[in-house]
Amino acid sequence: MTVHAESLDLPKGTTREKLGRGWYKFSRNTMSIVGLCFVLLVTFLAVFAPLVAPYPEHAGKFVDFANASIPPGRTYPLGTDVMGRDILSRIFFGFRFSLMMGVVVLSLVVPPGVTLGLIAGYYQGTWIDTAIMRITDIFLAVPPLILALAICSVLTPNLFNAMLAVSLMWWPWYTRLVYGLASTLRNEFFVSSAEVIGASKFHIIFKEILPNCISPIFTKMSLDMAWVILLGSSLSFVGLGVQPPRPGLGTMVAGGTDYLPELWWISVFPALAIVVVVLGFNLLGDGIRDMFAAEEV
Amino acid sequence: MKGLRVLSALMAIVLVAGFAAACAAPPETVEPIDEEPEVVEPVEEEPEVIEPVEEEPEVVEPVEEEPEKRSLRITFSWPTYIDPAVGSDYSSSSALCNLYDTLVFPNPEGGVDPHVAEDWEVSDDGLTWTFHLKEGIRFHNGSELTASDVAFSMNRMLEIGEGYAYVFLGTVESAHALDDYTIEFKLVEPSGIFLTTLARLYILDAEEVMDNMAADGPYGEWGDYGKDWLLTHDAGSGPYKVKEFRLEEYLLMENNPDWFGEFHENAPDEVRFIATTVPATVRTMMSRQELEITDQWQPTESLEALQEMEGVEVAGFTALTEFYYMIHTKKPPTDDIHFRRAMAWAFDYQAAVGLEWPGTQQSRGPVPADTAGHSPDVFVFERDLERAQEELAQSRYADQLDEYPVEVHWITDVPAEEKFALLFQANMADIGIDVEVVGTPWTAVVEEVADIETSPHIVTIYVSADFPEAGSLLKVRYHSDAAPTWSQNEWLLDDELDAMIDDSLATVDVEERYAKYRDLQDYIVDLCPSLFLYDQIEAHGYQSEYVDWPAAKGEVIPLMGLNMYAARIGVTGP
Amino acid sequence: MSSITYIVRRLLHSVFVLLGLSIMIFIIARVMPGNPARMAVGPRAPQEVIDRMSERMHLHEPLHIQYYYWLRDALRGDLGVSLVTRRPVVDDIKDFFPATLELTLFAGVIMGAGGILLGILSAQHKDTWIDNALRVVSYLGVVTPSFVFAIFFLLLFGMVLNWMPTTGRLSPDVVAPPTVTGLITVDSLLAGNLRAFVDALWHLFLPGLALAMGGLAQESRITRSTMSDNLTKDYIASARSLGIPEGVIMRRFLLKPSLIPTVSILGLDFAGTMGNAFLVELIFNWPGSSRYGIETMLRKDLNAIVGVVMVLGVVFIIVNILVDVVVGLLDPRIRLSAKRGE
Repeated sequence: MTVHAESLDLPKGTTREKLGRGWYKFSRNTMSIVGLCFVLLVTFLAVFAPLVAPYPEHAGKFVDFANASIPPGRTYPLGTDVMGRDILSRIFFGFRFSLMMGVVVLSLVVPPGVTLGLIAGYYQGTWIDTAIMRITDIFLAVPPLILALAICSVLTPNLFNAMLAVSLMWWPWYTRLVYGLASTLRNEFFVSSAEVIGASKFHIIFKEILPNCISPIFTKMSLDMAWVILLGSSLSFVGLGVQPPRPGLGTMVAGGTDYLPELWWISVFPALAIVVVVLGFNLLGDGIRDMFAAEEV
Repeated sequence: MKGLRVLSALMAIVLVAGFAAACAAPPETVEPIDEEPEVVEPVEEEPEVIEPVEEEPEVVEPVEEEPEKRSLRITFSWPTYIDPAVGSDYSSSSALCNLYDTLVFPNPEGGVDPHVAEDWEVSDDGLTWTFHLKEGIRFHNGSELTASDVAFSMNRMLEIGEGYAYVFLGTVESAHALDDYTIEFKLVEPSGIFLTTLARLYILDAEEVMDNMAADGPYGEWGDYGKDWLLTHDAGSGPYKVKEFRLEEYLLMENNPDWFGEFHENAPDEVRFIATTVPATVRTMMSRQELEITDQWQPTESLEALQEMEGVEVAGFTALTEFYYMIHTKKPPTDDIHFRRAMAWAFDYQAAVGLEWPGTQQSRGPVPADTAGHSPDVFVFERDLERAQEELAQSRYADQLDEYPVEVHWITDVPAEEKFALLFQANMADIGIDVEVVGTPWTAVVEEVADIETSPHIVTIYVSADFPEAGSLLKVRYHSDAAPTWSQNEWLLDDELDAMIDDSLATVDVEERYAKYRDLQDYIVDLCPSLFLYDQIEAHGYQSEYVDWPAAKGEVIPLMGLNMYAARIGVTGP
Repeated sequence: MSSITYIVRRLLHSVFVLLGLSIMIFIIARVMPGNPARMAVGPRAPQEVIDRMSERMHLHEPLHIQYYYWLRDALRGDLGVSLVTRRPVVDDIKDFFPATLELTLFAGVIMGAGGILLGILSAQHKDTWIDNALRVVSYLGVVTPSFVFAIFFLLLFGMVLNWMPTTGRLSPDVVAPPTVTGLITVDSLLAGNLRAFVDALWHLFLPGLALAMGGLAQESRITRSTMSDNLTKDYIASARSLGIPEGVIMRRFLLKPSLIPTVSILGLDFAGTMGNAFLVELIFNWPGSSRYGIETMLRKDLNAIVGVVMVLGVVFIIVNILVDVVVGLLDPRIRLSAKRGE
């Protein structure tokens, strides 16, 4: 565990050295590198989708029934769906919505989740702690997919509401994580010494405790990217995420199920695309976890 | 399919490897799928690890082989309500006509024949109808069907107000049993279609319903009016009776040998309504001969695959149903008639028709072409981008199209509607109209179109004529009374039109009535309140080898659900 | 703290959590624009009928009063009427829940038994190709959503190879056994109907496996790592030096301590299948409470949505308590430390 640097007389490597060591550990694991490559590839395809997709217009208001349901081939590498749209192009654009889901949800979730966790941890044993942690219990009382589905279904189905629903389900995990860390840290020597010299509570919570929680938070975020994307694709599978004609990967899988097994490519390729994204972030997350673990040893 | 084979082989290798390991068998080389690997055993449970939850088997008795039953199995979209005062959709109507009898029975010509009623008379003012019932008709529980049961059924329908009640509410004032076999209806005003509507009055056994009534319910002394019980039981006299009803799974009905009517010589012993419309499932069941007739919601791709199967054919017949794009006429920008006309000129009707089963035709005006009283001379739009641009230029929103996106709500319960919505969206993009497509569940559509404020610009809905006459459809589509219901999103609120509709429906002379219907259709098309996409062909796959289905031979009864009347369907296989 | 007081405290806490959950889901369901009364009486009902229903549902009252009525009814076992089935939601759930329970239990058995077996296999053959292959497979298992597995299995085993049924709980030509528990496998055994039993198992297989894959992978990874950690422990080495056969070492000394982390994760994964069952049941047309849940959600059937979420909340909490109890039974250290803390 990284402890506040001033309080201990340890060799204090520069940030660059730390990163260097971490990267060494990271790069020695083939799986992490594979994950990183997947993530970079997916991000690249998502960002430059309009340039790299063979038929960027197929991700928008476009139908071409004359070329509907064409199997994978030269013109359409992964075939076309029943509206005559190129599946490969739509997958590239689908990556966009998946990444957007992950990034937006995490940036909505982490600040309040972490803040509440810090406060509850700092005021451990008081009514503030009880109130905050009991509320997280309520949100964790049902599998997140079910509550997210329920919330999405009563709201208008769209990407924004899907993000909102997932965020609503996700913050308690960060509160729990940080609560655990903060409630041990607050009894550490450096916290009590800060208290003794009269540092403000704000200072203690955000300047003393928070920095020591950063690497677990960061590790969890990198792993959560995968789970949020997975949850988002489950929502869009039942039509509660990205709305057509915009391509959500889950929506694309669902759109093809009626035509199995004859038109298998409509469902199978987007399904594989989901696996690639989730796998990439998962491997990367594992790698980052090992990297921090290495740094802390 | 070659790609799929390769892919399957790959997936199978991975999975078989996993299972082989799971079964703790020494994994040898994994063969590719083409060579038929052995059937993978389910993961065996090691008793020492986790006890399975199942209890010990007791004495195992041999299962008795039941005699081969001829069964008619049909898939339907769930839910199916078999309470006559609740159900009104396709699957409910199909079930109701098999379980219950009605005073009159619809015929393929669009009229009605005597059924429970032998004959009838109507007073000169058209307000009193008297029906004489056949004697000796028995309900499934053995008690006799009498006029008081008919009166009870009508009163129950009017009191509950759901299902098909709307065809009687506002028309029927009262129902009285004059004696055991005579029933008299008093009407509020004369009605040209009252007789036909009686084909929707399903006769319940009053006593049986009372015996199964829950005391606590919204209907005062009638408690819950037997609603809870009737959801899963029948109190009818029809050719079939409920044997088993597993909600969301199936409704199983068995033949009623004491039925007073005449069965087809090979009428099925059992009728099973299966609650699924998933195309892949339906096709598999058809190919295994586990299904005789498919539902009508199969996508064209699925129907083509069914057509390829041996012994299976696709029957398509008119459903007196039209697919409308209902345009809100009071909300900008669609409140501008030029804007609406621009959309009507820009839509590609032929492409839409091409997505449907062969034989589908673009609609000619606001009623399906096979409906009595349809006007063949009504004006019909076609895709013409030049004229669309001209109209658009005349609209007051011409310069600010970006600020007025048009929202189209299609119904997610009917997945095929999405294609048309996306086609519409692409077509409108051609003339610069920005369309947002929103999939909306049916219940939400019903809710939002109830209010002029929340109604979207366009809702895409299939509407069937309740009775095979133009007037009955025009009334629910365009009369102000129907404005808050799901069958109208236009909000025309046009007094002149209302008067014309009321006048035509009250006209007793048939030819004169039809002439008025034709004027109505011209008047409506002139307002361009809707896009008239196509007259739906109801297409079902069926086992042509061993099912004798009148509807497939052209004897189509133009009333929703009646073509699934099992008493007239012959089954000789599989 | 004795285990009784522990369970009582957990239960009290659960009541609080359920109350909170009910308030949250009730508010979400009620703030939605729209008139639940209109939805309840069907598309063609006239205004008077809607008004009457609205009165009955207390929709004119302020929100907290509505919640009071809802809670009062819920405590009496009345969760309102579903607008899809037109029946009391409680009856629906009673009817549909056994199918979901059967499916998730089956998935739980696959996860537990399969995961542990694969884990042992991996640990025994550590760092051989078997271990590596299983690692890759379990990675895929963890990251692939269960609905994707469901579709792949459906396509591959149900359609292309045509080995297994893809819909429902029984073949149409198999007569269902009389309902006792609602679990067809159990009921058919009780009725001595072997044919139905085999058919029901056969139908369970694909959806159960699709549901179990994630947990299966997780369990095998955890079993592998605890097993291989424990293999290096001193007591194993001394057992070996005493000449105790390897099989006995495995069963007697290694298995039980290695299972504790697996069981606690298994409990969580099992509870998680309740969520994933929503999509898997939809794909395999499985007539369970999860398909009911998702269908009512897609149709905005508010009473049913609230009901399903609440019932699953109860089940979820019970499963979590059970897991804690089982882990306590397996691991004497936890019991002891709990005693000491008293």
